[in-house]
Amino acid sequence: MYELLAAGIANVAQVKYLVPLMIGTVVGVVGGALPGVTITMTIIVALPFTFGLDPLQGLSAMIGIYVGGSAGGLVTATLLGIPGTPSSLTTTFDGFPMARKGEPGRALWLGIWASFFGGLLGGVFLIATTGPLAAFALRFGPWEYFALFVLALSMVAGLAEASLLKGLLAGMIGLVVTVLGTDPMMGAPRLTLGIEFLEGGIAFLPVLIGVFAFAQIMADVEKIGGARGAAQAVDATAKLTVSHLKLLGELVRRPFLLLWSSLIGVWIGVLPAVGGSAANMMAYDQAKKFSRRPEAFGKGTPEGIIAAESSNNANVGGSLVTIMAFGIPGDAVTAVMLGALTIHGIQSGPLFISQQPTLAYGIFAAYLIAHPLMVIVMAIFARFALKIVTVPKSMLFPVVLVLCVIGAYALGNTMANVYVLLAFGVLGYLMFKAGLPLAPFILGVILGDQIEVNLIRAIMTDPDPWLFVTRPISGGLLGASVASVAFALWQHRRSQARERARVDAAAPDTTDS
Amino acid sequence: MGRDAITGLVVLAASLVLLGLTVGLERHPMLPVGPGFYPRIVLGVTAGAALLLLALDLVSRRGRAPAARRSGPGANYALVAITYGIFTAYVLALPWLGFRVATFAFLVAMPVALEPPRDARRWVTVLVLAAVATAATYYAFERYLYVLLPRGTWTGL
Repeated sequence: MYELLAAGIANVAQVKYLVPLMIGTVVGVVGGALPGVTITMTIIVALPFTFGLDPLQGLSAMIGIYVGGSAGGLVTATLLGIPGTPSSLTTTFDGFPMARKGEPGRALWLGIWASFFGGLLGGVFLIATTGPLAAFALRFGPWEYFALFVLALSMVAGLAEASLLKGLLAGMIGLVVTVLGTDPMMGAPRLTLGIEFLEGGIAFLPVLIGVFAFAQIMADVEKIGGARGAAQAVDATAKLTVSHLKLLGELVRRPFLLLWSSLIGVWIGVLPAVGGSAANMMAYDQAKKFSRRPEAFGKGTPEGIIAAESSNNANVGGSLVTIMAFGIPGDAVTAVMLGALTIHGIQSGPLFISQQPTLAYGIFAAYLIAHPLMVIVMAIFARFALKIVTVPKSMLFPVVLVLCVIGAYALGNTMANVYVLLAFGVLGYLMFKAGLPLAPFILGVILGDQIEVNLIRAIMTDPDPWLFVTRPISGGLLGASVASVAFALWQHRRSQARERARVDAAAPDTTDS
Repeated sequence: MGRDAITGLVVLAASLVLLGLTVGLERHPMLPVGPGFYPRIVLGVTAGAALLLLALDLVSRRGRAPAARRSGPGANYALVAITYGIFTAYVLALPWLGFRVATFAFLVAMPVALEPPRDARRWVTVLVLAAVATAATYYAFERYLYVLLPRGTWTGL
């Protein structure tokens, strides 16, 4: 493993890989810093640029975007009080107050170093677990794969911010998309609704572009002209220079916080389609609970920044594990990576690491190298961040939409994919307005065919349906699915009860009057 | 009827229509189950979940006073509709006008719709940005990334 990793690092250290990695990191930091532009949107915009590159070059650029974007959000979060990405939301809670107290450099660089170490801890997890998990997954038959995909969907539905039912419904709508077009076993047309291009089925990347980029832009467009949050930036002339040794000392003095927040980030990353925003919030919440001074949170405490930023970068490593070991995207960003691999004719999953060791260890190496690159980019870029965020959205969004169109079109040089983008952009926006979470939907679209193929394969091998439950791994995974749904229900009820108690406590006492 | 009930009703109707379409699907002789087997499971569960959402919303609303309208600035749906309209027109025009003409027109129309220019300087910015972005994307993709962008049937460009 170590030889392969060393070879991977030597490989990625070549100029032809370093350049896309560096460009990706810069683009990621800029995209992450721009409020309203998510990392998913940035990676979707960059996708068509990777088509002409070799797979490792393209993936290096994407990993650069992912790592850079996860850290980039903290620039605006600390200096403007606006989270650049959802995964830097809680960074604003303490980063901005600290910056406004006259320590913008400390706030920013604490976040950068926490991102760096959190990301590297995520990298250790990625490298250490992908191989063994992939080897374990090689024991899977169609029953186990079917159960694994069901578990992924049920976990995503359960962890969705909306209700469990809405999460499940969104996931099911995603599965419905995959039954339109052709039967994946025999290629027989079904439910084509008389539309010719549906006979080939619906490719998931245009759907993803439509749902995540297009619908997200529309959600931002509806706010244009409304009341805007008056961003009260820190003094633009304030010094961002700090003593790095002192800041590193601040981090080292809190090893438990750094490690625990990173582990939360990794764990959330491993869960399919749950993004860095959940990791960010959960790590912040945990840091506050474990802190000796919880009352200092929200007022500019370093613990808040360290927890928030280490978790969202560690999350990247966790997300890459599931895609490389099981072929299940950890979030929307890795879903785009999955699409990029498919375009290059590479199948991700348990065999990926053994069949494509150069590429797999190249991905590990790119991930590790992206972190020092991110620190360098941040050192150069942070000063300009305040200017970049003033780019009007009315100028930015049309260009992003054109790149989305090119991305969808270039997938097969066909306008059909652009029409799919348009249709799913509308559907995504309507789902957003209806309060249906998009993550389970997109996971349903990605996994739908695989669920069907494995279900039918299992039935063809042995028609006994009890095998899904009696085979130990399959049964265990299905049991875990039921447990995750039950846990989500219990959690939902508990939060409802707490909310009721809070409302009752806040209500004025009228019994005496 | 609330938002969840409407969502449930729409999804329920769509799943039932699709479920009806699976009835005539012919079974392949080599497979133990036909091409309609899995869609029926998916659509059945979807219909069930949609029905539950509809029912829960109706039950929870019974006997409850309608929620007061939220004050403050609302969403700018007119702008969303205009944006959709412009983007749809762009997508539909691409095969007829070609990438360069359609993209330039789109990159002028969209910023103008989102934030109408108040002075000549702003117009110049919009036009220059549209020209530069169109040229940059065209050359980057056609010349360097070998993506053959759509040609216009009407314009030949």
